[in-house]
Amino acid sequence: MEHAYLGIDVGSISTKGVIIDKDNRILSSEYRWTEGDPIGAVKELVRSLEAGFDKEKYKIVATGTTGSARKLAGTIVGATMVKNEITAHAVGTTTFYPEVRTILEIGGQDSKIILVENGVAVDYAMNTLCAAGTGAFLSSQAKRLGIEVEEIGDIALRSKHPTPIAARCTVFAESDLVHKIQNGHSREDIIAGVCNAVVANYLNNVGKGKKIESPIVFQGGVSKNTGVVAAFERTLGCKVIVDENGHLMGALGAAILAKKSGNRNEFDFSMEEMEFHTREVTCGRCTNNCEIICVYRNGQMIDFWGNRCERGANFK
Amino acid sequence: MDLHRKISFPRIARYNCAIKYIIEMGTGASYIMQPEMTKRTMEIGTKYSPDYVCTPFKSSLGSMIEALEAGADTILMTNGLCRLGYYGELQEQILRDLGYRFDFINLSEYVTGKLKDYLKAVKRIDPKVKLPRFLLALKDGLKMGEYVDNITEEYYKNCGFEVTKGEYKKAFRQFLSKMETARSRGEMDAGYQAALQTMGQIPVDKPEKPLQVGILGEFFTVMDAFSNLDLEQHLADMGVEVHRWMNVKNRMLHYSGEKNLNIKIRDLCSYEMGPTSTANIWCAREYAEQGFDGLIHVKSAGCTPEIDVMPVLQNISADYKIPVLYLTYDSQTSDVGLMTRLEAFYDMIRMRKRVL
Repeated sequence: MEHAYLGIDVGSISTKGVIIDKDNRILSSEYRWTEGDPIGAVKELVRSLEAGFDKEKYKIVATGTTGSARKLAGTIVGATMVKNEITAHAVGTTTFYPEVRTILEIGGQDSKIILVENGVAVDYAMNTLCAAGTGAFLSSQAKRLGIEVEEIGDIALRSKHPTPIAARCTVFAESDLVHKIQNGHSREDIIAGVCNAVVANYLNNVGKGKKIESPIVFQGGVSKNTGVVAAFERTLGCKVIVDENGHLMGALGAAILAKKSGNRNEFDFSMEEMEFHTREVTCGRCTNNCEIICVYRNGQMIDFWGNRCERGANFK
Repeated sequence: MDLHRKISFPRIARYNCAIKYIIEMGTGASYIMQPEMTKRTMEIGTKYSPDYVCTPFKSSLGSMIEALEAGADTILMTNGLCRLGYYGELQEQILRDLGYRFDFINLSEYVTGKLKDYLKAVKRIDPKVKLPRFLLALKDGLKMGEYVDNITEEYYKNCGFEVTKGEYKKAFRQFLSKMETARSRGEMDAGYQAALQTMGQIPVDKPEKPLQVGILGEFFTVMDAFSNLDLEQHLADMGVEVHRWMNVKNRMLHYSGEKNLNIKIRDLCSYEMGPTSTANIWCAREYAEQGFDGLIHVKSAGCTPEIDVMPVLQNISADYKIPVLYLTYDSQTSDVGLMTRLEAFYDMIRMRKRVL
């Protein structure tokens, strides 16, 4: 049986999964909404991955998880590698684009920039304290304008004169946008303006002080938005590469990292039938009141975390 | 009226033992040690603070309230070279509005550069103070601060490499508790020497060229482990030699002076830039020249002097090809976001070192 590797990326908005073989070819992939239920999303994800996967020919020998719910996902799937999304994205992208110099990534709640030299990340930045200029902003504005977030790109590309929209902060951008709508700007122009605002915000906040060099790869959910891609190309004055699997890059990175590390633990598809739940407990052994998260599988506690000192370490 | 004061000072890093020593050995007052800061400290501090003020204001206000709850009748508050200089006045007013009854000694009112004004502050702590006794206690107390810094440096440089987990932490704790109970220079010296010796004997497994990271930034947040969510410990636990020049010893006790330091960074910035900015810029370049693998710049949200430092750090980062991670802290107490950034930073400098 040939070896295969599973990578799962659980983000705030979407959950992504891939199974790759030893040459990093994708055997099965899936993308779905997290909908505030990371455990449920991972189980559904695994079910879909299983359907498109040849279990007679391959077996999954290592599993990597990444994304903001990487720890929780890692516990329930028995991951051999739990990695932050910045490293996973850098590793995934440099594997498929060894020449890349700049990785732009805009997800649902966060955005990051990774600078690469000689195939290794040398600098990065991630948005802090604020989700301005991320997918969350785009989807709330799409809702306001009565369109699907998937349609934004095509509509934006039809605009000849994008409306300038204040880009410093989501709240300001929103009130500026409302004023412009009420003033009679066309919908295409407004939507193209929103795309420009996302780019301007990204470059001013996350990209501030960073030298953006070509080749540039743009990924994360927002990279599927052709309006934002066009805005990036216009602002940066060069081509921006969007991989058809760009949305899976974090999951691919996690799978590649799991493959590279020596840890092996055969993945068991039966986890999709198991019952998982979490419980939050306040430790209460000092005034820090750490919120400890306990994870249960079929009623049995399998892991817990969240304690900041050893008083909560033997928590049961 | 009982003139014997029960004094407390907001929690700051690991220095309260030295303040306690100066107060108790140098004057007739006693010192009230409030509990270490926890999530509750931050909650009450945030609740009564203006929203946009920097985080050290909130945590120190919370810590003052916990000191009053612990029985202090006098709060001592420091002066400062940035907005910190105004904090005492505002915090006193907030505490009075909350209905607490206490005396407030705000050093901002006394730090004028004139010796007689400093004396006034000491006289307010204890009108019957014997000056030679106070000066001796001050000298020894400052020495204790220096000892704390030396051991802290030793700790973060090595604890990530110990063979048996927990040995460094144990030695560090023993040292700190000895400093807290020391009643004489002799006890203090003995505790220090013992800690040096114990730490020197702990077996470490350190590679010839370990990953070295320099931490710099705003004075309070960079030194206070509670405020920076234990940044240095997390980094050390990943197997990093953690260096931090910014401490009381280097910035206050043996500081070469704003002018002397500024002259060394004239090519990077033309003006003197404020409380710790000159030192941080100088220090960042020192680390870069020593071939460190990365720098981490720490500040609380809205810290103007440190925001001014960032463009210069970006130049240093480009000139010396050294990655800089910028961390901004607010009153959040979850370290999930911090860990994501820190793990990524660690992965990056490790992979980079392998390639270069």
